[in-house]
Amino acid sequence: MSTTFKKRNILLWLLAISFITPIITLFFLSFSKNWRFPAILPQQFTFENWSYLFFSGGNIAPSFLISLVIALSVALFATLLGFITSKYIAYHKYRKKLLMLTYFPFALSPVIFALCLKYYFIKMSLTGNVQGIILAQLIIAFPYSVIFFTGFWNQRIKQYEDLVSTLGGTTSYAFRKIVMPIAKSLILVCFFQCFLISWFEFGLTSIIGYGKVETLTIKVYQFITEANIFYAALSCCLLILPPVILLWFNKKFIIQQAK
Amino acid sequence: MSKQKPIHIISFLLLFVFAILPLILGFGFALAYSFGLIGGLNQGFTLDNWSALFENNDVVISFLYSGWLAIASLTLSVVISMAIAIFFHKKFSKGIYSYLVYMPLAFPSIVAAFFFAQFLGNSGILSRICYQLGIIDNIQSFPNLVNDQYSFGIIVAQFFLSLPFFTLLYTGLYQTERIDDYTQLANSLGAKNRQSIFRISIPILLKKSFPNIVMYFIFKIGAYEVPLLLGRSTPETVSVLAVRKLQKFNLYDIPQGYAVAVIYTIIILSLLMLVLKTNKNEYDI
Repeated sequence: MSTTFKKRNILLWLLAISFITPIITLFFLSFSKNWRFPAILPQQFTFENWSYLFFSGGNIAPSFLISLVIALSVALFATLLGFITSKYIAYHKYRKKLLMLTYFPFALSPVIFALCLKYYFIKMSLTGNVQGIILAQLIIAFPYSVIFFTGFWNQRIKQYEDLVSTLGGTTSYAFRKIVMPIAKSLILVCFFQCFLISWFEFGLTSIIGYGKVETLTIKVYQFITEANIFYAALSCCLLILPPVILLWFNKKFIIQQAK
Repeated sequence: MSKQKPIHIISFLLLFVFAILPLILGFGFALAYSFGLIGGLNQGFTLDNWSALFENNDVVISFLYSGWLAIASLTLSVVISMAIAIFFHKKFSKGIYSYLVYMPLAFPSIVAAFFFAQFLGNSGILSRICYQLGIIDNIQSFPNLVNDQYSFGIIVAQFFLSLPFFTLLYTGLYQTERIDDYTQLANSLGAKNRQSIFRISIPILLKKSFPNIVMYFIFKIGAYEVPLLLGRSTPETVSVLAVRKLQKFNLYDIPQGYAVAVIYTIIILSLLMLVLKTNKNEYDI
């Protein structure tokens, strides 16, 4: 076996280790207790942390549910509204200008954007509640969805729609029978992406939620500031699980289907 | 004049309400507050808040620091993911590596920051391994790799978060741009491997990914969670500085916080306009 081949294999192994070490470490920590220096492995492995999640008043399970409700709502609204709006932009004579405007809110730091908008959210009584957070996250996820779908509305789709109307089909018929089947997997991908934008969000949620709406990311931050690394690791595991499943699903089915 | 379809009016309203209006309202509010036109303690138009902001170099340092962190982590990500695309593109197109590369994408910034604090910290995993190997003899001997003066922890965490994005981008580009065909052609005409990498593969990949690199730079300048958990109190990144000025107890700092937000918005929107205008391709993501 040549030296170059061996070196390449070592590099690949290093990369693989760097990709999986974080997940393994967090899972280990979530099942641990007493991890004193200089022991590499924790002195005690226990299910206590996880049972606290399900049976005691740990507030982690409610945080998981709140995060899930917020992320699903944001993903649903952003995907639906983005799909509708993107068509308008894609065929508009000022397509480039409108698209540029759509990019602006998406490119700004969510936490700074939230600080600038907080006043209006206070006036509308939308701080410290789930509705306010959904609306605030939509301001980030909606532009993403619009940008995502604008590429879909190309000349080919327009020609299909024109063909249906030439043959006597209605707009809704063209939408149901032509556009939707083609757009199906893209809609699913956009839904996943918007779900992840919301699921990962911390800065904007902490500003608009005032810390009263305890999503999982807020919970992780609380545990970190309390130096409770085992509960923080547990919350991290809960945060990572849905994206891992979604990304696997995305890779396994949608990308392969698209190919 | 043709009559607008209801769906067009709804679409425009959606775009206005969810994208354009928040930007106008947010920027307008920050601008007015920074010039003393609104706000509880403000008493009419004044430039005092802006001059107070620039009395020390904190803001300039903060912007330069954010830019430096973004450039450092991006350079690492671009170089390594490009090397992966050039040398291992087949491994990363299918099989186990094509799945593993997605793993860091499942990490929210706050989780990545927490992991690297546990991994690189003084009592972290790396420090414990070094102790067991006899490289260090106590906890203090381990160098500060988080909350450190070189921002090593922040750069590594941001590199970890951006590596999969660029790896997927470059392995994809390697195939769509048919770089393999070009390098084979160059090799058959007498070019050495090194020449085909530096004269063909890297220039094509860099040119095609340039808008993505600048876009990522724009996003990274506004990074919040990683610098908040792995950074020091000085210097601060722009987001951390703005939050400190706007959320903490000194009410006289609030107009300055909004001035920071105004400067940040102007810089980011100008950069974005520059990228979008120079990018002749579509703006699709």
